[in-house]
Amino acid sequence: MSWMVKTRFSASPAAPASKPGPMSTMAASSNTRVSNGLKEFISLIGETNQGRVLDLGQVSQATITFFIERGYRVSTEDMLRSWKEYLSKEEERLRLMPLGEDGERVSQASLAEKFLESSLQYPEENFIGVITWDLFDYLDAELMPRVIERLYTLLRPGGAVLSMFHSRPPERFHRYRIVDGQSIELLSAPTLAVHARVFRNREILDTFGRFRSSKAFVGRDQLREGLFLK
Amino acid sequence: MDISPASISAPVPVSTPPLAPLTRSESAITSGLRIHGEISGTSDLYIDGEAHGKIRLETSRVTIGPNGRVQADIEGREIVVQGSVKGNLKASERIRLGNSSRVRGSLLAPAVAIDEGARLRGKVETVRASESQGGSARTAEKDSESKNVRPVGVHAESE
Repeated sequence: MSWMVKTRFSASPAAPASKPGPMSTMAASSNTRVSNGLKEFISLIGETNQGRVLDLGQVSQATITFFIERGYRVSTEDMLRSWKEYLSKEEERLRLMPLGEDGERVSQASLAEKFLESSLQYPEENFIGVITWDLFDYLDAELMPRVIERLYTLLRPGGAVLSMFHSRPPERFHRYRIVDGQSIELLSAPTLAVHARVFRNREILDTFGRFRSSKAFVGRDQLREGLFLK
Repeated sequence: MDISPASISAPVPVSTPPLAPLTRSESAITSGLRIHGEISGTSDLYIDGEAHGKIRLETSRVTIGPNGRVQADIEGREIVVQGSVKGNLKASERIRLGNSSRVRGSLLAPAVAIDEGARLRGKVETVRASESQGGSARTAEKDSESKNVRPVGVHAESE
């Protein structure tokens, strides 16, 4: 596979070989779409010895089955839920703290640092692939770059991250599952977090600046798929 | 199989086998009880209370009920979780995470089924049935390093 270093993260519909969006061959009621990002992600991690894949979305039988049947080992961590639960606990802890005990400085940065002391705890270079789905659209600004930095250390050289970014705020909260090697399904789910912001392409590239190359697939449904190679 | 609708908090997909309820042959740690230590033997076990320590019932079914809170590594023939578990699960036949399950730990079994709504933070690996039987408890992480461990498939159900 030829990867252009720092491939332009373009919002153009003419992005490489990408014609995703709701599949015409699928039932209209099914929110299944072609995922060229997934297709290339699988192709990419398949070029190396089979290894571990990290799924940072809500656990899905279908997704786990997909990877295990192909010989991968899967770790799963519902990161957004963990983060929200962590914030709730911290808020409660601070609320119960007696007045005057303000020696502890609390900032978004410190919360993010502390959260990562118990999250994404894996050996370095443990994974050949990481799927974040649309996690970064919902994470706090202080946490996102720290998570990406951590993911970089967890990836083997040659490993890849598949992330999705909405081009406009989504109407509802979704979770995702893999249908097959080139399509995913978006499933409506109870809102776990408010969509934080829409990233500009340049912001995405900058945040993943340590990765040696990136590639974008832009769908008609305004979902951008980013593939980032270590 | 006996079915107790009360044991299931929400409808499950038609293709998903119902979660097994407490049967007469099972021992039980009921809601309100708390146990610390190691549990071993040959009886099936139903836990709807709290258990801390280690559970080794290699030939039996271990069921964590919806009120169950377990902090222990669990070994069993079949492990069904509807409640909360913090520990590694290892089964010689299958592991099933129900829709209200909350698991933090590794899953190692020939077959793993995860219902819609289950929460899992940890590794999932499947091994051949013969390879997951016997021996002392090992985490999935350690097992994964073994040459004998090969993914062989999972139950395709739920969702």
